Amino acid sequence: MTRMGYAELLTPQEVRRTHEASLEVLEAVGIAAHNPKAREVFAKHGCKVDSETGVVRFPAEIIETYRVMAPPSFTFRGRDPRFDRTIPDDGPIVVTGSSAPNVVDPITGVERRATSADIATIAHLINELPGFDVFSISTLADDAPEGQFSLSRFYPALKNCLKPVRSNTPNMDDLRQVIALGELIVGGADAYRERPIINHHYCPMVSPLSMDVDSTEAVMWLTERGLPVYTTVVPNAGLTAPMTMMGALIVGNAEFLAITAFQQMIKEGTPVIYASLPTVADMRTGAYAPGAIETGMLLAAQAQLSRFYNVPAGGYIGLTNAHSNDAQSGFETGMNTVLGVSAGATLLNMGGLFSSLMAFDFAKCVIDNEIALMDKRVWRGLEFSEDNLALAEIAAVGPGGSYMGRQHTKQRMKTTAVLPRMANREMRGQWEEAGRLDINARALAEARRILAEPNLAVWDAATDAAIRDHFAGIVAGDAIPLEAPQV
Amino acid sequence: MGHEELFEQLKQAIIDQDQDAVMSSVNAALDAGVEPKTIIDQGLLPGLNVIGEQFECEDIFLPELMQSALAFQAAMAVLEPKIKESGNAGPKKGKIVLGTVKGDLHSIGKNILKLLFETSGFEVWDLGIDVDLFKFVDKANEVDADVIAMSALLTTTLVGQRDVIEALKGQGTRDKYKIIIGGGATTQAWADTIGADGWAGTAYEAVNLATKLVS
Repeated sequence: MTRMGYAELLTPQEVRRTHEASLEVLEAVGIAAHNPKAREVFAKHGCKVDSETGVVRFPAEIIETYRVMAPPSFTFRGRDPRFDRTIPDDGPIVVTGSSAPNVVDPITGVERRATSADIATIAHLINELPGFDVFSISTLADDAPEGQFSLSRFYPALKNCLKPVRSNTPNMDDLRQVIALGELIVGGADAYRERPIINHHYCPMVSPLSMDVDSTEAVMWLTERGLPVYTTVVPNAGLTAPMTMMGALIVGNAEFLAITAFQQMIKEGTPVIYASLPTVADMRTGAYAPGAIETGMLLAAQAQLSRFYNVPAGGYIGLTNAHSNDAQSGFETGMNTVLGVSAGATLLNMGGLFSSLMAFDFAKCVIDNEIALMDKRVWRGLEFSEDNLALAEIAAVGPGGSYMGRQHTKQRMKTTAVLPRMANREMRGQWEEAGRLDINARALAEARRILAEPNLAVWDAATDAAIRDHFAGIVAGDAIPLEAPQV
Repeated sequence: MGHEELFEQLKQAIIDQDQDAVMSSVNAALDAGVEPKTIIDQGLLPGLNVIGEQFECEDIFLPELMQSALAFQAAMAVLEPKIKESGNAGPKKGKIVLGTVKGDLHSIGKNILKLLFETSGFEVWDLGIDVDLFKFVDKANEVDADVIAMSALLTTTLVGQRDVIEALKGQGTRDKYKIIIGGGATTQAWADTIGADGWAGTAYEAVNLATKLVS
């Protein structure tokens, strides 16, 4: 069976020119590296570092030498190895959107600051929703005790979800604390090196063409130790990149090449992802527009470039600027992810967030699960094969016959098409009789149904006791029972 | 050319977002003996008012507003020293200490805001990016600021805004300043939570907010 061909927005000549133009930018303009250790790495490996400005310039052959060291795949590991996912082969893998400060309360419907208990609840939901492959910790935890900012996010996430968990940390103390948590979960430092179950993500590249201090430090530290880490580039046309699609693509591509070369300089063969969150700012006000169709187009072009570089691609796509589960929320998530998947992106950071990554919503998460299942269906394509031409079946039914009662149909009725549970296919009369529920109401009910079940993903009492013993004052890390009476 | 005509030319040059025309009109007005302060009040500011109105109803976009502000700033670079020389400097609207909080290196929105603050008559101390809470506190104290304005784009650095407010409270100096916050990761609700005096979603709104708070 052949898989579908990719949608391509650039010709092979244009891909080549985009690559060369990115090399020109890196050689002539360079990258401002704010972390002195990073500048040392660059200088040691043949880049020209201006010690006064901190700007690093990359001879083209340096980029060419190091970028090819990046392997073609990246693996996410979960607490349960059955949920491990490697891209591109297991793609497209669907990841939740992450680090929103707020949550829409599933009981009151009011947006408020998110807590560690919300993270536990969301982790349970993501563990159960089949469209999601990786839980990128959706929110912050406003109740985090002093000195446990990241621990208060990773602990409830890992405790309640068997799938791979992904997130960032703001400083080295938090990073070490989180790794210590991972080691306690898998049973020691050696076991953790075998199965590093925390998947780290950072944005060390700050557009245009800069590298920060703290995230760069974390990426260096993890790369040196061979622990899984990948980065996202975030060009924003009109503000941090030129106001052309190609200009934004080139700024982002130069940044991707610089951080990829950086990781290979530290450790040859470090897995990377060509991950991005490209946007075109709304020039009427400067507003951030991650839900705009241009995000999908740029991400599609980056997926094409990733094949030139032979690394997996994806990123934040299917985000929305909408503040509720309205038509805008649906079309922004739907249109962009379909575009990304058709272009060959195998990682979609898409689930559960409103308001340009500012708030998590349970119903949105359930709706996005369904969109994710549809995206995965698109990826399977038409499944061309001689058998699937169904010529014998067409002949057997003949002109004017029906395929409905056929064995051939029965065998394929659950796999040929996605069977949505949120998208409504009832007749209008049935829908009215059932209370005229819109998709938000149906999805919220589904979330509450799932969350009312016990979460079998929670680890055993001994593991929990060891962790709680190690980290004094750690948050409870337990989900909020959703059947609680309304306040 | 009469003064009225010169003022009209200055105003139009700002509206046209044409820095060259602004500079030549400023020089023409100076040559004609117009007081620098009058050039600003009768020519440039009326132009900026029109630009502001056009921006608010989306007749013009942010890059156009920026160009007018940059042209205004270029004119001020010439006019301000002359005003100081003559000893006629009027009072500034207020003093603002501005920066992006610790851990966050995003500067573009903050820089737009700085430009608009200055254009609207504030005196601004820009502390830059990745600003430690003590830098905010010390600079505000040193310059006797009216407003502290903090930006954060990353949700993970948001808490830096709260830290500054808490530090000021700890010192007993919280009420000396109006504190406003903004940036991609912030909301009005967050401003309320941490006890800021105001929040703005855009640089343009932030200028109106600061103006209101100091008046």
